[in-house]
Amino acid sequence: MNRLMALLKREYWENKGAFRTTPLVIGGIYIVLLLMFLITFNHFDNEFQSLKELARWISQIDASLRGEIIYVGSITFFPGLFNIALSFVVFFYLLGSLYDDRKDRSILFWKSLPASDTLTLVSKLLSAMVVAPVIFWAIYVLTSIVIMLVTSVVVLAIGENPWTLFLGVGNPFKAWSMLLLSYLAQSIWALPLYGWLMLVSSFAPRIPLLFAILPPVVVAVLQIWIEFLQTFTLKKNLFGVIGEWFANSPFISINGDGNDRPIASLGIPLTDTFDHEATVANIFDRLFSTHMLIGLAVAAVFLGTALWLRRRATES
Amino acid sequence: MMNNVIEARGLTKRYKSTVAVDNIDLHIPSGRIVGLIGPNGAGKTSALKAILGLATYDGELSVLGKNPSKDRAALMEDVCFIADVAVLPRWIRVWQLIELTESIHPKFSREKCMEYLASTKITLDNRVKQLSKGMVVQLHLAIVMAIDVKLLVLDEPTLGLDILFRKQFYTNLLNDYFDEERTIIITTHQVEEIEHILSDLIFIQDGRIALDCSMENVQESYVELIVPPDNAVAARELKPLYERELFGRHIFLYENANRQQLKELGELHTPSVADLFVATMNGGAA
Repeated sequence: MNRLMALLKREYWENKGAFRTTPLVIGGIYIVLLLMFLITFNHFDNEFQSLKELARWISQIDASLRGEIIYVGSITFFPGLFNIALSFVVFFYLLGSLYDDRKDRSILFWKSLPASDTLTLVSKLLSAMVVAPVIFWAIYVLTSIVIMLVTSVVVLAIGENPWTLFLGVGNPFKAWSMLLLSYLAQSIWALPLYGWLMLVSSFAPRIPLLFAILPPVVVAVLQIWIEFLQTFTLKKNLFGVIGEWFANSPFISINGDGNDRPIASLGIPLTDTFDHEATVANIFDRLFSTHMLIGLAVAAVFLGTALWLRRRATES
Repeated sequence: MMNNVIEARGLTKRYKSTVAVDNIDLHIPSGRIVGLIGPNGAGKTSALKAILGLATYDGELSVLGKNPSKDRAALMEDVCFIADVAVLPRWIRVWQLIELTESIHPKFSREKCMEYLASTKITLDNRVKQLSKGMVVQLHLAIVMAIDVKLLVLDEPTLGLDILFRKQFYTNLLNDYFDEERTIIITTHQVEEIEHILSDLIFIQDGRIALDCSMENVQESYVELIVPPDNAVAARELKPLYERELFGRHIFLYENANRQQLKELGELHTPSVADLFVATMNGGAA
């Protein structure tokens, strides 16, 4: 346990820029944008006149609808930049996880420590599945709190009540726990991809990105071509399988409900294999599905091979 | 048998087309400082990698009673090594490296490490990539010397270090670090710097062991004879292992020769490890 903690710390130290600085910068951008917005209003407006009108207009919207909009916004629209950055960070982190130390030969130092290759691999996987998402989430929550505070002060300054306007109607804790749950569920759902990236990372002699992308592209293009030759139709291929997999993921995205109202949904509702409404039950429905079982089996094969290769990484 | 730190029988390492280590037997007891000497590509590093669990091999191999290819992690609690180039991660800060080693290695002593570091210019906040090559080696050595292990493997440990630090290092190794319980294996091209601390000598050539004996044995069995040119023919008749010429004088190296007989021809010396090495490599099996 001690060793695992030490190895997790090592991953954090090495990737501080990606894991911590990235979300901090995004949070900073949000806050700066808010301040710029307020200053702009102040500049063109006599004593926040339009801001006051805006507040009055908002206060006339039905409280439960207001709460719903705030809730949906805080799990879809507002964490948007965090979500995108997190995906990139995790993707490239895993791609380098078993490659970088082979490239700079520091693997020889890591292997001189009494930590098994399995533990090393687990620490890297946990960093991608838990450490990075939790840090991103925590900084998002922190950013939200700062934004709520600043907004409350402004609302107070223009003579409105921030509690009745927005603080009291939304349920930030519900939104935050939902987002965290979705992040962690997504980590499990994406395990086949994570396993693949670690596998590539452990064998690629150079440019892991190329080795990660090229094989699936070749397989999918061949599939498409062969299907087309045989039947003149385009049926399911690897692209379709991967696309559908992530369309069904427990990652919260924003969608219309058909009546021009934005709603939060899980993944993208392309098929009806799963219910796409963003609820806790639907998240667990995915995690305890046959799909997930197959996904875990695929991930296990990738990760097992990655471990096998890691053991032999110092051969030559 | 269990007293031997390293016990190898028929140890073989094959790469695709070449045999790097060819069916060697090794028995290294504890409390020894072994110099593993060989030309480039002789199979030193391949043999060490097998011993350290960093590569697969054929044959029987037991290190501290463990199978290195299966139990690397457990083995590393009692074994430490420095590979032939400075391989510390470049991004890490010195304090992070120390904290990490402390929490992963049960036998690491922070105080000892700080003691060694105090004699260098390295500060705790430095990143490895800010350090010069020599300082990286100093840092690595400080960490390794602060770990209380039974077997220490040093593969070209002082590469890139100046002569002052090299001398200092080997003195520390002998005085502060080495004791009856420990075994040290060193490979280096600067044989003359380590020969006075070695207790055993292993020459390796083309994947085979060319010589395996203790330093006392070297002194007993091998002798160097320096003769003026007139006596060269007579000396040559006594079947030297090797002959070389220096400033017009002929120098012969003998194994198990009659010293009385040799004395009549010229001066006797104990050969240096370097000379013995050259003789063994050029003159065939010892």
